Amino acid sequence: MPELRKDPIVGRWVIVNTENPRTPRDYEIIPHEWKGEKDCPFCYGNEYMTPPEIEAIRDENSAPNTPGWKVRVVPNKFPALRIEGDLDKRPEGMYDMCNGIGAHEVIIDTPYHYKDICELTSEEIFLVLSVYKSRMVDLKNDKRFKFILLFKNVGELAGASLEHPHSQLIALPMIPKNVKEELDGSKHFFHYHERCIFCDIINQERSESERVLFENQDFISFCPFFGRFPFEVWILPKKHMAEFQNVCESQLRALAEILKATLLRLKKVLSSPDYNYIIHTAPFDYEFCESYHWHIEIMPKLIRPAGFEWGSGFYIVPTPPELAAKILKNE
Amino acid sequence: MPELRKDPIIGRWVIISTERAKRPKDFKTRIKEPPERDCPFCEGKEDCTPPEIFAIRDNNSEKNKPGWKVRVVPSIAPLLRIEGDLDPRGRGLYDILNGVGAHEVIIETPQHIYNIADLEPEQIFLILTAYKERLVDLENDPRLRYVLIYKNYGYLAGAGKIKHARSNLIASPIIPKRVKEELVGARRYFEYHDRCIFCDMIRQESEQKKRLVYENEGFFCFCPFASRFPFEVWVLPKNHSCDFQKCNEEELKLCAQAIKEVFLRLKISLNDPPYNFVLHTAPYRRKRPGYWRTILHDYHWHIEITPRLTRVAGFEWGTGFYICPTPPEEAAKVLREIENA
Repeated sequence: MPELRKDPIVGRWVIVNTENPRTPRDYEIIPHEWKGEKDCPFCYGNEYMTPPEIEAIRDENSAPNTPGWKVRVVPNKFPALRIEGDLDKRPEGMYDMCNGIGAHEVIIDTPYHYKDICELTSEEIFLVLSVYKSRMVDLKNDKRFKFILLFKNVGELAGASLEHPHSQLIALPMIPKNVKEELDGSKHFFHYHERCIFCDIINQERSESERVLFENQDFISFCPFFGRFPFEVWILPKKHMAEFQNVCESQLRALAEILKATLLRLKKVLSSPDYNYIIHTAPFDYEFCESYHWHIEIMPKLIRPAGFEWGSGFYIVPTPPELAAKILKNE
Repeated sequence: MPELRKDPIIGRWVIISTERAKRPKDFKTRIKEPPERDCPFCEGKEDCTPPEIFAIRDNNSEKNKPGWKVRVVPSIAPLLRIEGDLDPRGRGLYDILNGVGAHEVIIETPQHIYNIADLEPEQIFLILTAYKERLVDLENDPRLRYVLIYKNYGYLAGAGKIKHARSNLIASPIIPKRVKEELVGARRYFEYHDRCIFCDMIRQESEQKKRLVYENEGFFCFCPFASRFPFEVWVLPKNHSCDFQKCNEEELKLCAQAIKEVFLRLKISLNDPPYNFVLHTAPYRRKRPGYWRTILHDYHWHIEITPRLTRVAGFEWGTGFYICPTPPEEAAKVLREIENA
């Protein structure tokens, strides 16, 4: 019998195919292939092709917008939102709108064109994560912004238009819907139980252990019981913490390790699938930090989205997370 | 300047790119699709499907034989099972139910035609009649709370390898999340304004006209103010009603005509794009007396049609935050101005 499972945070039900679960070879995976790009704007020597850099980790004697960097942040050349201007909130009849003010930045993970983030060394990944942190800390000073979305699209299916490894950051003047639901759901849980629901989830996942992939001193990665996508993986800090930008250096190092290990497993077991990851963190100056817990959600792109999932928010998971975790651990 | 717009029903914000707005020709909808499989849905192939649940057929034709116009069969690979109990249970923090429900396929034509845009309004009327019959029939099963009817057209929209027009029906013991948000949002609006939010939308849209795509005496088709996707179109009945299955014959005919117009306009202007179609109708009202107290007044059934023109990036999945590269006003203008569609 298939199972219906409920996400305890936002209350979403998913259909889990426990009867004829699909294994990696049942998916039509098109392995990520490096095509090579002539004049890649993110490669060494092409720094002039991007807008001037906002921040970079560079060799001491190198000048901005020249080679010699390890991680580089530039404004998106085709930003979805604009950094200059006022929000100008206004109605149109019954509708609400405002100007599309926000920041849209690209974090170039590495000068290497052909290395996905999981193929970098833990030290290099640590640098990328440190840049995530410093961008968040910096953008927090802009009072127009409420929330920062940090994400990565790898491969065309995941929505990437350039193949050179990069992450993106969008600073928003409001809180996106799913994040708000998560915040509200966890706040609601906290009011009743006086505990963080994510901490409870960590405890339950650890005690059941069948969905856990990796654990180190600071982080745990697992396939959530109620995941929407096959082989979906979450990474959570074990210690309660609402905001990503509050992580300390040693935690960032531990995160780099678990992120690398987790992504490498997905790459190996699913033959280099396209994927996305998103950092879910509390909005700036969030009042209910005891109820929220930042985390990373990793979603390999194995299935084409069917229409009704968009329309209904009802997901079908062809591989139960227990099986996904087992396969990821044993391969 | 790009705009942030808020969906007034569920409160979702979307980014509408106003500069660099994408025109129909900017979208690539043609991809190399996998080869088509043998079609089990054509007339004469009735033995390739499980036995039919319902069909609209010629008077003298037999079940599971040719002579039908629309045919409903169980899915060959059902996501939910019709037999068994829900057996609700908990496991620590988590809640589980058995996957009880129905999963049916509505075969929309005996001919091997793929796009509903290529069917006659009379045939679309029969399809809608089949939707109605199934909704009415499934209400008799007390385990079911919601029936989702949807269509995936084209490989990029998640359709399989068989190019024969059909809709899917999933009857589930729970109300899907997005539907529930809509119900709750509509109820909240009603509590405050004492009016249906969808009726208000029709009122504003028919005054402003700039997002109107097509209307007839019964139906209003427009690109919603906070569209998630370029060229998204909603089809709403002008008469307030929360249940699709309460439509009479006349209304279904007008609905068929409106749907035909919308699909034909999408096909012409966007070069036969892949799309999804979802019927949003009220849940069955069971148990919890009083819970749906105002639903007759606050909810309004409708159809959402979303062409799949953009690759949806990961963060849109993950955050429910969409970037729509074509302002709905421009999309509506393109669709409205197609002559003699």
